[in-house]
Amino acid sequence: MAVLEEPIKGIVEVKNYIDGEWVESEGEIQDVANPVNGKVVARVPISTKEEIDTAVEAAKAAFPDWRSTPPVARARSLFLLKELLEENFEELSRVQTVEHGKTIDESRGETRRGIENVEVACGIPTLMQGYNSEDIASGIDEYLIPTPLGVFGIIGPFNFPFMIPLWSAPYAVATGNCVIIKPSSEVPLSQMKIAELVDEAGFPPGVWNVVNGGRTVVNGMLDHPDIEGITFVGSTPTAKDVIYPRCGATGKRVIAQGGASNFMVIMPDCNLRATIPALMTSFFGNAGQRCLAGQNVIVVGDDDHFYKEFINGVVDTTKKIVIGNGLDEEVQMGPVRDIEKKKKILSYIDSGIKEGAKITLDGRSNFKIKGDYPDTCFLGPTIMENVKPEMKIVTEEIFGPTMGIIRVKTLDEAIKICDDNPFHNADAIFTSNGKTAREFKYRIRSGNVGINIGIVAPMAFFPFSGMRDSFFGILHTQGKEAIRFFTESKVVIERWP
Amino acid sequence: MQLNTSASVISFTKQLEADSSSFYEKMAERYPQGAELFLAFAKENNKYSTIIQRAYYGVITDAIEGCFAFSVETDKYIFEKEPTRELSYTAALNQAIDMEKKLISFYTDAAEQSKAFMADVPRTFLIVAKKRNNREDKLRALLKEA
Repeated sequence: MAVLEEPIKGIVEVKNYIDGEWVESEGEIQDVANPVNGKVVARVPISTKEEIDTAVEAAKAAFPDWRSTPPVARARSLFLLKELLEENFEELSRVQTVEHGKTIDESRGETRRGIENVEVACGIPTLMQGYNSEDIASGIDEYLIPTPLGVFGIIGPFNFPFMIPLWSAPYAVATGNCVIIKPSSEVPLSQMKIAELVDEAGFPPGVWNVVNGGRTVVNGMLDHPDIEGITFVGSTPTAKDVIYPRCGATGKRVIAQGGASNFMVIMPDCNLRATIPALMTSFFGNAGQRCLAGQNVIVVGDDDHFYKEFINGVVDTTKKIVIGNGLDEEVQMGPVRDIEKKKKILSYIDSGIKEGAKITLDGRSNFKIKGDYPDTCFLGPTIMENVKPEMKIVTEEIFGPTMGIIRVKTLDEAIKICDDNPFHNADAIFTSNGKTAREFKYRIRSGNVGINIGIVAPMAFFPFSGMRDSFFGILHTQGKEAIRFFTESKVVIERWP
Repeated sequence: MQLNTSASVISFTKQLEADSSSFYEKMAERYPQGAELFLAFAKENNKYSTIIQRAYYGVITDAIEGCFAFSVETDKYIFEKEPTRELSYTAALNQAIDMEKKLISFYTDAAEQSKAFMADVPRTFLIVAKKRNNREDKLRALLKEA
């Protein structure tokens, strides 16, 4: 099968999209390299405080007209955007592969998931309806009107450059707000492409803005009095210690989604033929760089025969994973995003070994790359046995292609390990027993729960949940909760004497 | 060659349908007595290709096993892109039937392998396999008449 054509020719000079115009930044410029071969594919500005202020001004100025645009008309703009995203589906997907390194299947999956959020937001005329009670007292009626608030900041991570800002932006603009998106400076191209389509769809200037950069832009958003709320997806330390408290201090609404260390609980009665591919996707999909990825397996029971069969099946399948350029359709795992992330993953593997884990499959060096690419950002999948719940490879987020294996005797022990972990983003069980599955679903304290599902990614019409150190806030991105987040409840009580 | 990813299998189906189209176009050129049906088959192949692509692009998400859904050995399903030269009409029909059998086998195997992972894609594969079963019946009917 073919290596697909690269979607980017030359080096893209990324600009900010402010008030319906492409604007050059005064800030420092950084290179964006394709992790597969190190080739520079773009140059991105690290925008200044003045530039984020200008974007806020533009969004604030656009708000009154956009807010009073009928929801059906706002929905039509979103329908147009959806059509344009579909027309450009393949290019958008390939751009993700080039800037991030993920495989083309993964990129197309990300594109589909992003578009689904635009589709859901197209239902805004009904999604945004309020409710009313007639005659709350004699001749008095009461009703609730969801109203937009103004300007929102959306801060995206590097691992899903296309999809994650779309967990928020379509809902924010559908409800009549204006947005400023700050993509990760490591992967700015997808949001630039989306902004080009937003422009083509004819959204009024100032409704949808993109400001590239780093801390200065984030701080500018957090401190700005005219930004009503922030959605953030990134690491737990930033979510917990920066975004959440700073939004509290400045009176902003906040959705701050952090990291994870997810468990996949394996019961001896599971269907191994279906479970193993699900685990491959969970642990090694996106090179392990996602907050829904499995980080550790918990194998339940003292059946050594099952354990051996499970380990052999997992190791044999993992060994066959084809690693290489994500634009090669046969490749199952791409590189990690950059060398710093690779070093961090390697340090976690080393720490696991020091703490007593046994390397069953060593992805630090024992892997082949399909094609002629430097190994700078590549890693093979690593499997470690004899993992204990107190090890750093369990209590901290690795964000790489590693699988730790813990053995316990009972489901109670497995649930306790999940519960004792500081993160609670996504945990899953693999079993053919409905009662066991129900028990797990009922007791587990996790935001996203999987039953025979390795990546528990909620559809656009469900909230993307998360608990404890994986989430800071109340309402979540996506679906009805996003609509609630981006609107204030105005309650009217009315009497006409 | 073994294919494991959805992207590679979908590209492979595209190639198979294009090769099968070429085969029937050549059949139509060489054997005018069946040309109408052969050209209809060639046209249908494009439709199959389209519905498979549509199913794939419609359901592919980051949450399903897109890169691990298949284990397709392509060598089992490869066929000639055109009928062997100077074959009799009946021999060429038999070659077409063999090609259809390979394609039915491919779609059935691929559907079975991916049914737990790829939502509507295996269902679409089975639809195409069923259509090709009907096609095999039509080719056999031509063979009887010949």
